[in-house]
Amino acid sequence: MNYRVVTYILGWVLNIEAGLMLLPFVVSLVYGEMSEGLAFVWVALGSALVGTILVVRKPKDTTFYLKEGFVTVALSWLMMSAVGALPFVINGDIPRYVDAFFETVSGFTTTGASILSDVEALSQCSLFWRSFTHWIGGMGVLVFLLAIIPMAGGTHMNLMKAESPGPSVGKIVPKVKNNAIFLYGIYIVLTFIMVILLIAGGMSVFESLCTAFGTAGTGGFGIRNDSIMSASPYIQWVITIFMILFGVNFGVYFLIITGKLKEAWMHEEARTYFAIILGAAAIMFIDLRDIISGTADAVRHIFFQIGSIMTTTGFSSVDFDMWPETSKTILVLLMFIGACAGSTGGGIKVARIIILAKTFGKEIISFLHPRSVKKIKVGGKVVEHETLRATNVYFVTFMLLFVVSVLLISFEGKDMVTNFTAVAATINNIGPGLSMVGPTQNFGFFSDFSKLVLSFDMLAGRLELFPLLLLFCPSVWKPKKKLS
Amino acid sequence: MSKIFSNSDKSLKIIIVGCGKVGTTLAERLSQEKHDVTVVDTNAETIQKVTTLYDVMGVTGNGASFSVQNEAGIDRADLIIAVTASDELNLLCCTIAQKVGQCAAIARVRNPDYSEELSYLRKQLGISLIINPELETAKEMSRLLRLPNANSMNSFAKGHVELVKFKLPEDNMLVGKQIKDIGASSLGVLICGIENEGQLDIPDGSNIFKKGDLISFIATPVNTNRFFRHIGMKKQHVKDCMIVGGGRTSYYLAKQLSEMNIDVKVIERDKEHCEKLCTLLPNALIINGDGADEALLFEEGIKDAGSFIPLTGLDEENILLTLFAKKNSKAKVITKINRSTFNDVIEELDIGSVIYPRYMSTETIIKYVRGMQNSIGSNIETLYHIFENRAEAIEFEITEDSPVTGKPLMELSLKENLLVACINRKGIIIIPRGNDTIQPGDTVVIITAHTGFKDVRDILK
Repeated sequence: MNYRVVTYILGWVLNIEAGLMLLPFVVSLVYGEMSEGLAFVWVALGSALVGTILVVRKPKDTTFYLKEGFVTVALSWLMMSAVGALPFVINGDIPRYVDAFFETVSGFTTTGASILSDVEALSQCSLFWRSFTHWIGGMGVLVFLLAIIPMAGGTHMNLMKAESPGPSVGKIVPKVKNNAIFLYGIYIVLTFIMVILLIAGGMSVFESLCTAFGTAGTGGFGIRNDSIMSASPYIQWVITIFMILFGVNFGVYFLIITGKLKEAWMHEEARTYFAIILGAAAIMFIDLRDIISGTADAVRHIFFQIGSIMTTTGFSSVDFDMWPETSKTILVLLMFIGACAGSTGGGIKVARIIILAKTFGKEIISFLHPRSVKKIKVGGKVVEHETLRATNVYFVTFMLLFVVSVLLISFEGKDMVTNFTAVAATINNIGPGLSMVGPTQNFGFFSDFSKLVLSFDMLAGRLELFPLLLLFCPSVWKPKKKLS
Repeated sequence: MSKIFSNSDKSLKIIIVGCGKVGTTLAERLSQEKHDVTVVDTNAETIQKVTTLYDVMGVTGNGASFSVQNEAGIDRADLIIAVTASDELNLLCCTIAQKVGQCAAIARVRNPDYSEELSYLRKQLGISLIINPELETAKEMSRLLRLPNANSMNSFAKGHVELVKFKLPEDNMLVGKQIKDIGASSLGVLICGIENEGQLDIPDGSNIFKKGDLISFIATPVNTNRFFRHIGMKKQHVKDCMIVGGGRTSYYLAKQLSEMNIDVKVIERDKEHCEKLCTLLPNALIINGDGADEALLFEEGIKDAGSFIPLTGLDEENILLTLFAKKNSKAKVITKINRSTFNDVIEELDIGSVIYPRYMSTETIIKYVRGMQNSIGSNIETLYHIFENRAEAIEFEITEDSPVTGKPLMELSLKENLLVACINRKGIIIIPRGNDTIQPGDTVVIITAHTGFKDVRDILK
């Protein structure tokens, strides 16, 4: 381990977070919440101080391997959450640190699971910070870092690999920096359009911003106790469409912008993503047509819930915990599929599901024709063995972590559906589950231990499991031997 | 924020096909120079490795295929560099790229069968630059054997002309003379720069040589020799050369040395290959035997050899052989090192001049890319920064409508501190005098202390 480079990057992350914390302070000035807002200033000053100390001297030895990339990313996210939770405790909005940590992890990992029973009681600046963490976490802080800080050769790719979701991380343009600029460009433009559309629908500017942050990061923190349920149909449609748009692989937008419309249209992952949405909607429509009165309402609620769950946002326009079992089951299954790779969404990712399904098909054929030779292709390109292996291992690891987490949660004696969906909703970065953690409920009743387990699941889910698991591997922490 | 974007306006979009030693080095260097680099290779593992190490994008596939080139973004690329193991594939890559996109193309072609036809290939296939690392290595080696006096050398017109820099010794006949008195032009030599104590002059004929001057002149390789002989610089160049191994570099080197009337002895292990070399190199003595055999080397007279160059495929063997030669003779030795690991250990060894072919071909390409960066949208062929960046040597291609064509040079009103150093008329090198003219289709080398020339018309006042 090259500790110096890792702490250098961590220093930058602290500085950026300090800068971002000034935004909620600005909000507090607008709403005259000086006492609550100052908490952000104090924390910002503290982290800027530590951050500056860490970055003031550039490390001489800039060796940076994948190992350093993983550790940096994992530590950055842990640190951001730990620091980001402080203002809540200091200004008294969330008095207990474990709760505040859970809430902030849930924010940065774009989960949207909350421990708060009365969201509307929070100060405006805390509400803003809560939603803003979604927006920061959606695209990732280190991607942002790559856009602004020049770093040596391998650093870029190893960081990007560790933070970006998806089975194989490819670039869309040669330079990591331009990739990052491009991704953030699309992200900002889409968010901006959404804010405008929401304001046009009669939402207040503050609420529009918070809702757009929650949608863009596919997070799901609302600033109302009933999530989006009381919003107008227009607002609900705007949110539905943007949730689904933010769940699409951003590579597709690159293809559209560069005029490769045919490639964009033929993008296999995006096609599968939309096919799953339409298929799920069709089944649910049949299941729900007698329960929701009015076809327009039914279609809206179905697409809203599917978009919300599949892109792992976690908003709700109705209490779907009241829906019949078939629809609920479909929603739980969609939780695991998740959004496209290279989007802001979580879950296992459509790209991995495609590869897993094709691997399954290939195995079936090899039972029939034991000597058959078959390569798995996605989007007309052969998937390398390494990617296949990584995808399979990812799935196994995911399942192991899931099972262990459910077991750990179950010690509290809650019912099966609660335990199962609580873990599913956090590890896939969705937010609400079913039963006691349903859309109108919250996670506040869990013990501190369970909250930490679920926080870990959220981080592991957002960072694609391995960076976080790697922290538990002792050999990672061995200091790099100096050449004498 | 503006700093992020500022360095990207001049960056080129470059596609590198083939990630061998040269391809990887190029990816490293060009990405460091802030270009947008995409690498293409058939081996997914190699691509994985290169994209992890450097800030480049990777595409797996055959670089000569249209769809792969398309995926790599050929339609918006400025340059494609084909450095796969196969000459033919490289040429095909470039040809297809030229048909699809509007980009410059560089191909590596090293088979001796093509070496005589490179300029023909270049023209017919529309390739901007063909590099032949073995040939370049051989040239560098023969230069080291031929011109021990020279401090440095840049070549123009695809190596037909060279810019040689040397230090004037104290007791030389040139000291105290004016340039116009030494009759350099009758020797086909043009003095184009004199440096003394950090001062640079682009001379006009009236300058006087002083001791310790660093003199740069431009000439063809043959005339360089004549010039050195004329001014009485002790020509220490070697009379004979012993080469171990009969690979491509040996062939090119032996051929060049033979042309320079240096006795060449090639020791090659493989009998059949010896026979082939014998036909190709009628003037060289081909010995069939193991070059790593002490007894054979003594028998062939390593003790009295003027120079000794081991060119086997193994770096380790080459190093051992030069160490052996250093110990047993006074021969000038040159060591070729293909891989670039353990550099600090190698530097400590007494193995004469060391040549890294991998860096040489990379340098050539990097130079070309730099020249290209300065010449987007103009007709500059190549550009060198010389005299520690205080002057530029630019090679222009003359298109039909240039106003500088057709008139004798002395009638053109040229800027000061500027020289028309050389005219290359379809491979014939002219060191121009006042009566010479520039014709359409020529390439001319301009040496100037002005910077930022974009077009040949810029040479006029």
